[in-house]
Amino acid sequence: MTRNSDNVVRFGTRDRIEHLLVMLIFFALALTGLPQKFHEAPISKTIVGLLGGIAQVRYFHRLAGVLFAIMTLVHLVSILAAVITGRSSLAMVPGVKDFRDVVTTLRYYLRISDVRAQFDRFDYKEKFEYWGILFGGLIMITTGFALLFPIEATRFLPGQIIPAAKVAHGNEGLMAFLVVIVWHIYNVVLAPEVFPGSKTIFTGKIPRERMRHEHPLEYARLFPEEAAELMGHHGAEPATKPATKEDG
Amino acid sequence: MYVRFAKPTFALGFLAFLQLFLLAPAARGAAVDENEECLTCHGNDSLSVTLESGEEAPLFMKRELLESSVHKSLRCTDCHAGLDQVPHPARHYKNLAQFRASFGEACKNCHFENYTKTLDSVHYGLQARGDLFAPTCVKCHGSHDIARPAQPRSRISQTCATCHQAISDAYAKSVHGHALLMEQNKDVPICTDCHRSHDIADPKNRAWLMNTPALCGKCHADNRLMGKYGLSTAVVSTYLSDFHGTTAAFGAKGRKTTDEPVVALCVDCHGIHDIGKVTGESAPAFRANLVKTCQKCHAGASANFPAAWLSHYEPSLERAPLVYMVRLFYKIIIPFIVGGLLLQILLHLWRTVVNR
Repeated sequence: MTRNSDNVVRFGTRDRIEHLLVMLIFFALALTGLPQKFHEAPISKTIVGLLGGIAQVRYFHRLAGVLFAIMTLVHLVSILAAVITGRSSLAMVPGVKDFRDVVTTLRYYLRISDVRAQFDRFDYKEKFEYWGILFGGLIMITTGFALLFPIEATRFLPGQIIPAAKVAHGNEGLMAFLVVIVWHIYNVVLAPEVFPGSKTIFTGKIPRERMRHEHPLEYARLFPEEAAELMGHHGAEPATKPATKEDG
Repeated sequence: MYVRFAKPTFALGFLAFLQLFLLAPAARGAAVDENEECLTCHGNDSLSVTLESGEEAPLFMKRELLESSVHKSLRCTDCHAGLDQVPHPARHYKNLAQFRASFGEACKNCHFENYTKTLDSVHYGLQARGDLFAPTCVKCHGSHDIARPAQPRSRISQTCATCHQAISDAYAKSVHGHALLMEQNKDVPICTDCHRSHDIADPKNRAWLMNTPALCGKCHADNRLMGKYGLSTAVVSTYLSDFHGTTAAFGAKGRKTTDEPVVALCVDCHGIHDIGKVTGESAPAFRANLVKTCQKCHAGASANFPAAWLSHYEPSLERAPLVYMVRLFYKIIIPFIVGGLLLQILLHLWRTVVNR
């Protein structure tokens, strides 16, 4: 991990490219997918018209879908390779601590307690989104291919799986869209701590202060001397300090 | 003795129409007089003229035919313009078809609106390309024996059958045609209900074809009408919410016309003129044939494939339980997840404000 005066490198080039691609593909899929789900809405007709008609929209959607499937496959294979070679990081694996963190955070929000959860490399919100997009993505890919190849899919499976896949594909897609629009955009763009938006996933760098605040356990692991010094000076204070005052 | 009467030369239909009301009482007597005048010659059953082609054009007019016409109060020259002088001015017709076509424009003086509609029709298209056998007003409506066209309604299909015999036969066997001809049913569509009467579109025209779901929906989405026969009105909504229907609703347009995707319309599965019953005792036969119907577009579809289409049924526990359960699952999980996340956001904002 590189050090410079006030930034810490949080994401490597590969992570940043992966996020950028998923972001673009997700946008393309939502833009070409939602008008098909909400085909009766006037705005859907406008979007489909602007994109060159329903045949064109479906072509773009399938193209983006196949790209997404390839990205997911590459991601899974690289994780598998990392596990086999023993270089895998367990930072994203959810544990009991994450569930405790949810409870701690909710107690903090509800002012039952003033103790804030202390996060490591990934907090439970980030883990929720990662596993959400991974499992959601797998559902989208499976149902998407079933819809793209209905003849092949029903050769051995009952016909009913096609309309079921269509319902699942549309709803899972809508849910993913809503989670991203509501939850992800809030957490990385609109929340007072990060407004007008965290650039970490694009630049790879996180301001040192923000890291100490948002990922204190990781920070302590990376910079043990500094963390010990801080703890010595302030005790448990950083945990109870208002969030907004610590962020630039 | 030949008496010359003022002839309406109004080009505009509405003036001629007004004239019917304003001058009709006085003109009626005059019309009878003039028609009597014409019948002195045309009442002779041997009267005819030989055309350049060698064809005989009969010029005999049966008095009874005129008297039973809806136009019996009109003068002969109202339609046969330019023939009010005796002897008639010389005119040249190559053949019988051209002779008959020369009266083709006679109706527009009064029936201007319907006349202009015909200009958009597939029949007029044939006429404009020089087809002398293309239907004109009189081909469908008759000439001297003109009567109300849809009395009884089955008369319409008989009229179209003059040229479209094979289609008329198929229609007669269909669920619609059978009800019309055997039960004098007033709800089933006759030819003109789908094809319209004067502005008959080319049924091979893509825009017209793409409109067929709306066309069928006119009756099949009508609760009152379908209720009479115990038929579901969900047929249109279930079609539109499925893949085929959504494609059709978006106009199935590609960037170029050659890119236009194939889309299954009502008629592709149910047939066009030979539409059969899909309920009751006809259902098993229709269902047994379904794989073949699907295979028309989906080559290689297996026996499982037709079940991919829920046959216009809304998913329920009895029909398509898997689809029903998946739908129910998302109906619960989406509000739960998204609502939960929104609540967390609001709590976070609230705590942030409290901290300040």
